[in-house]
Amino acid sequence: MVLKVGFIVNPIAGMGGRVGLKGTDDVLNEAVSLGAKPLAPDKAEETLRDFLSNYSTKKDVICWFTCSGSMGFDELKNVGIKNVEMVYSPSCVNTSSDDTKKACEIFLEKKVDLILFCGGDGTIRDIFCVVDKKVPVLGIPAGVKMHSGVFGVNTRAVAKMLHEFVNHSLTVGDVDVMDLDEELYRRGEWKVKLFGVAKGIVEPTYVQVGKTVFESISDDAVRDELAEHIIDEIKKYDDFLFLMGSGGTIDYIARKIGLDNTLLGIDAVYNKKMIDKDINEEGILNLLEEYPKVKVILSPIGAQGFILGRGNLQLSPAVIRKVGLDNIIVVSTPSKLVSIPFIRVDTGDKDLDHLFAEKEFMMVVIGYRLSRVVRIQTNNF
Amino acid sequence: MLQGGKSIMNRNAAAFLKEEYEDLVNKNLDWKLRILESGSTPHALVDGKKILMLCSNNYLNLSNHPRLIKGAIDAAKKYGAGSGSVRAIAGTMKIHIDVEKKLAKFKHTEAALLYQTGFAANAGLIPQLAGEGDVIISDELNHGSIIDGVRLSKADRAVYKHKDMGELDKVLKDSDKKYRRILIITDGVFSMDGDIAPVDKIVKLANEYGAMTYVDDAHGEGVIGPDGRGIGAHFGIEGKIDVEMGTFSKAFGVVGGLVAGSKDLYNFAYNKSRTWLLSGSHPPAVSGAQLAAIEVLETEPQHVKNLWDNTKYFKKELKSMGFNTGESETPITPVMVGDSGKAKELSNSLFDEGIFALPIVFPMVARDKARIRVMMNAGLTKKDLDFALEKFEKLGKKLEII
Repeated sequence: MVLKVGFIVNPIAGMGGRVGLKGTDDVLNEAVSLGAKPLAPDKAEETLRDFLSNYSTKKDVICWFTCSGSMGFDELKNVGIKNVEMVYSPSCVNTSSDDTKKACEIFLEKKVDLILFCGGDGTIRDIFCVVDKKVPVLGIPAGVKMHSGVFGVNTRAVAKMLHEFVNHSLTVGDVDVMDLDEELYRRGEWKVKLFGVAKGIVEPTYVQVGKTVFESISDDAVRDELAEHIIDEIKKYDDFLFLMGSGGTIDYIARKIGLDNTLLGIDAVYNKKMIDKDINEEGILNLLEEYPKVKVILSPIGAQGFILGRGNLQLSPAVIRKVGLDNIIVVSTPSKLVSIPFIRVDTGDKDLDHLFAEKEFMMVVIGYRLSRVVRIQTNNF
Repeated sequence: MLQGGKSIMNRNAAAFLKEEYEDLVNKNLDWKLRILESGSTPHALVDGKKILMLCSNNYLNLSNHPRLIKGAIDAAKKYGAGSGSVRAIAGTMKIHIDVEKKLAKFKHTEAALLYQTGFAANAGLIPQLAGEGDVIISDELNHGSIIDGVRLSKADRAVYKHKDMGELDKVLKDSDKKYRRILIITDGVFSMDGDIAPVDKIVKLANEYGAMTYVDDAHGEGVIGPDGRGIGAHFGIEGKIDVEMGTFSKAFGVVGGLVAGSKDLYNFAYNKSRTWLLSGSHPPAVSGAQLAAIEVLETEPQHVKNLWDNTKYFKKELKSMGFNTGESETPITPVMVGDSGKAKELSNSLFDEGIFALPIVFPMVARDKARIRVMMNAGLTKKDLDFALEKFEKLGKKLEII
């Protein structure tokens, strides 16, 4: 079967980083005047070359759809890929996020099986606006900020993932799209938001079905187990308030329980009923006055495995101190833990981070009544 | 009409049997059974082909030992073909008790209990040892039958990284304040890599936290420790492991599961294990062979010695050819290949050359750690081993593994 891949390069991704601009959103001209050179095209070609030389056996397994010039066509041509259909040309030489979005609309019309892109968090944010969860995305890391879970760790890893996706040994699962507010960041504030949950390429979870026979089970089946576990916990601690964290895993669990959850926000559940939604820090602190016994359910967010400090700033140091470290329940699909060797915490409060550091590890729930040890890292990035 | 279902008239009750089987066949996940047309001997007849057997668990070649065969025949003649009942009702024969007493003596434990199979021991006993409010802590590479036993329990489960005592300590520390009882379960010898769990350290940690220890010694029984007395003897901690679970199906050359430990464990286990209570007891011939197997181990040390001599020779020669034999400390000898497709190809080519050895591929082992798993056997001669080594060298070079 021929796989249809939409390929898009954000040629300006990462240009701000080399000249100390912490991102390229809205400041391209400044970056260029400071001497920034494009690097995304090289990263894209590096990935394609690695894929061709190490993995590609049959040349025709992929049918490529792409954009003109350095938005994809040049890179494919330079590495010698022939099976290419150019489906979009930007109207002016300086490409913009509009071009990314327009190209993705055409990719959807062409019914691609995967969108391979080269860029950073800004690029995936643009792609996600159009693609949502309709098609899985895989990112070649070339941006300044890459907090999202769609990126391979380097070009080599992306080439391998692409190969394994083509060969069906990797599967499709939820990945977080993150973004740092660049305006705030350039003013010295650090605020990474969870932007949404896209479809990405993930390692499947395997279960043993015979002595030497394993079957991969879907991400949803694993999350069903996690939901069963959380239902039991809610029943067991029936006098506790449960704060449901943000992200795809917890959203799935909450919906399985029958709660109308907020994907990107913090919700409060008491006695199996949603009592407040998308609560800010002040709202949470008020709730804690009323409900002294609280458990927080968190799942690692983004590419680096943060449970606190990325995408859930409402769970401030004051909130966490009141809740208590022992009342934090961390859940994760085993496949996510394959790519995240550590749980990371960055509360912005050194003393609180230190309390996590002292714990050294956390028990992370990976199935129904099943948990495993995962180390905690608290140093910042 | 049921909501979401089909009407009774339209339902094909048995269609799924064929569909699901065909699905397995299409995915190449079905078992292709090889038929033995001889006994499980080093030179066996498999699917009409004479092969050198390098994948049985019959480590000591006892399944063909004359004393075991005689033991089986004599017991069948004396007590008949079947036992007539489950152990609990009217199926406990003196010969069952004889085996248990002899086994306890052999393993230097207070008592030992027979189960119908090793799986029956794990699936029957583990859920009784830990329940609601308890935790079972398990090595991530434990065997499937342990995992099933654990699933039958209402206890929480926590997994630690393979043989990582630092992680085990952390789980114990975390569990200490949360749970009533703590049960640590590990394989003694891990069946994929042939490495040995640090059971001495596990027992020490368990004692610090008041946790119970359960070791599945299926691949260690009859193989490791002085005279093949198993994992407790290997570490010189006989009687200190709370539950030493094992099997008669591998090195002992017969069939059946066993649990060795205290008298209290014995009484508790047979009164509570549902698998034990609800399945028929071993036929006398099985028990007769089991008795003889223990006697052979006690009086003929050459079998364990041969097994280890063969293991050392085979591994040494493989290494000198440039093969990687992994982390094995036991007669389980992984011949690392790397790529799964290549491992399957090597196994098939070996079979064509008259050697029966199975590939172990992803996801049983990591993607880049596919291997052929060779199981050494005490009955193989030096000539047999050299024959096998020659084929490994030839095919290893052909497939660019060495």
